[in-house]
Amino acid sequence: MTRNGSLRVVLQLAVFAIVMFVFISPASAIPAFARKYSLRCTACHESWPVLNDFGRNFRDNGYQLRLGRDDAVTADPGYWPVAVHITPRYLYTKATNQATDQGVKDIGSGGVADASIDLLMAGVLTQDISFLVVPTGFAADGNVHLESYWAYFSRIFKNSDWLNIRVGQHEVDLPASGHRGISLTDSYLLYSYHPGVPGGNNLSAYDMGENQQGVEFLGHDQTSLTRYSVSVFSAKDSLGSQNGLSSPSVYGHFQKYFRFKDGPVSEAEFGAWGVVANYPTEFLTSGGAPIPGSGSKLQSSTRYGVEANVWLGPTVAPLHLDFVYGHGSDKKELLMGADRAGTWNGAFVEAIWVPPTDLLHWGIFGRYDIIRNQNQSLSTAPSNYNNQDQWTLGARYTIAYSIRDEVAFHGEISSDKVKGIGIGGLDQRVDNIMLGVDFTY
Amino acid sequence: MFYRVALWVPVLTGLLLAAGSAEAANTGNAGNGKLVYQRYCLSCHGAQGNGQGEAAEYMSIKPRDYRQGTYKWRSTPSGSLPLDSDLEHTLLNGLYGTYMPTWRALDERSRLDVIAYIKTFSPRFTTEKPQDPIIIPPDPGYSDASVARGDAVYQKYNCAQCHGAGGQGDGPSAHELKDDWGNALVPYDLTKGHVKCGDKSTDIYRVFMSGLAGTPMPTFADSLSSTDAWDLVHFIQSLSPGYAKNMAGTVASTTAGGAR
Repeated sequence: MTRNGSLRVVLQLAVFAIVMFVFISPASAIPAFARKYSLRCTACHESWPVLNDFGRNFRDNGYQLRLGRDDAVTADPGYWPVAVHITPRYLYTKATNQATDQGVKDIGSGGVADASIDLLMAGVLTQDISFLVVPTGFAADGNVHLESYWAYFSRIFKNSDWLNIRVGQHEVDLPASGHRGISLTDSYLLYSYHPGVPGGNNLSAYDMGENQQGVEFLGHDQTSLTRYSVSVFSAKDSLGSQNGLSSPSVYGHFQKYFRFKDGPVSEAEFGAWGVVANYPTEFLTSGGAPIPGSGSKLQSSTRYGVEANVWLGPTVAPLHLDFVYGHGSDKKELLMGADRAGTWNGAFVEAIWVPPTDLLHWGIFGRYDIIRNQNQSLSTAPSNYNNQDQWTLGARYTIAYSIRDEVAFHGEISSDKVKGIGIGGLDQRVDNIMLGVDFTY
Repeated sequence: MFYRVALWVPVLTGLLLAAGSAEAANTGNAGNGKLVYQRYCLSCHGAQGNGQGEAAEYMSIKPRDYRQGTYKWRSTPSGSLPLDSDLEHTLLNGLYGTYMPTWRALDERSRLDVIAYIKTFSPRFTTEKPQDPIIIPPDPGYSDASVARGDAVYQKYNCAQCHGAGGQGDGPSAHELKDDWGNALVPYDLTKGHVKCGDKSTDIYRVFMSGLAGTPMPTFADSLSSTDAWDLVHFIQSLSPGYAKNMAGTVASTTAGGAR
């Protein structure tokens, strides 16, 4: 882009931002839990949608406050367990070193992006049995799918929080939620990364951030300061094997929080996590095409790592630092053309700052993601092939929130650079600029 | 490099934690407490602490107006300000059957900070001191005989006038009651197996002696003996299997401590 072109984009964005601030009036409707319990979004979210201590405990308890007003009969008659979330936004994306018929080019385009909505339906069916159903989509392509659907059975043993069971399609208990991240233009690289062979495919499609179909066993202490979660599931996007679980996988996570009454650190958390996801590598075929459900010779993608969170300053308006490290390995049988297993390390550091301003309107955030391959699955590939660096900066200003809705102005920029995947081993980079209105009601 | 980073993170975190090992304060910071209040309390209790937050209009049980310094749940005698520990008790346990949840998941620093801020709504906290807590003698123990005596106490003090003969909150006066702010009140249904201000036998005992300030529930401290009060506690506990009953008659707690 020329200097004049850049200036034009900046001016357009500035005008758009002014229009957003001046003309947007608060939405007026009812997010399900805020309406049910007469609490503002801030009660559960450090900076929406990242949960705080109270929100995490509320979720672990099956979205119940246990005051005798939780289930469908005793809850406030005005409660209806449906909320809508949507983010109309301007998005400019530039991708470098793209292969075209005219040679290697940079491609940049922007516009008001096609938005989809989340229909968030959640509540308590009866005491200690809660549910969540989230259809998402409804964009111009007309597609709708169920992002989540589960039932959650709390306190399997009477009055003990140490065994709860979730059944259905759910997000595994990640160090930082992939679906509840504060960034709207990128995702955590660590969750979705797979080593690659130049020009080859990977039979494992495992993505830690993607919701999985299975059973979660979860336990915690009274305030969710010590937690564990084990999910057993059949990994998504697998053609399926002839086993009881077609793509048998298990994920585990343990977290321990520490609180400090005085000093710069108000809270800290340490945790460990790991997953083994198995995918079939051989299939019966029909006309040369694999027959779904006929797979065999399962091979694994493994991921494991540690995490640390630190909250500086009062927890009500903290500087929250989140560090997650992981090591990954994909068996060579999963990687077409590979001559050995691919191994790699990844990490991210995320900072979220809630300035201690009146009514806590602001959330400022940044993140750095990094992927470094350890053993390329093709031993002759360059050692830095497919290494990635991604950074994100953003700010979120909540224009208004109430017990019935929230509307926020959200702006962020991000950049993701990948080594050697372009034509002739060129690096590729994707940059995003986003300005939008994020609202839920 | 990753292993080096992974090693440094806990080291740096440890240094930060060590820096925070100074002696803990026992009172909150009202400045931080204002933010805690805005995050969690504002929607019900209102920006002015007058109990008229945006949600109050839709609540059948109205949020407390903090400006008078009158609190239902106290360990102190009728008419007294509460102790900080009384306010924290309510934060930790919530008020069952109302919209006030347990804030146990909040860290202690936030709880102390918001208590410090809530106290700024009433000038009484700058001019008065809370009285000494009520002394609660040991629970003599739940028994059928004590329940029978408690039934008689329930009749003698005409509790059924509000709470009903069966304790279901449906007495003859049930629909005429109002709080000090003129809001209609329904007497508590004692058969639920939970008591609003705490389920322990000492919590129930304390209500008889301290009353529930701002409501028609009076104190019986001047007329009810401790023996009668314990019998009445046991009678109420007999109304539902949900109550934990102290069958062994072990020693109960005596007072609540905490800053004033």
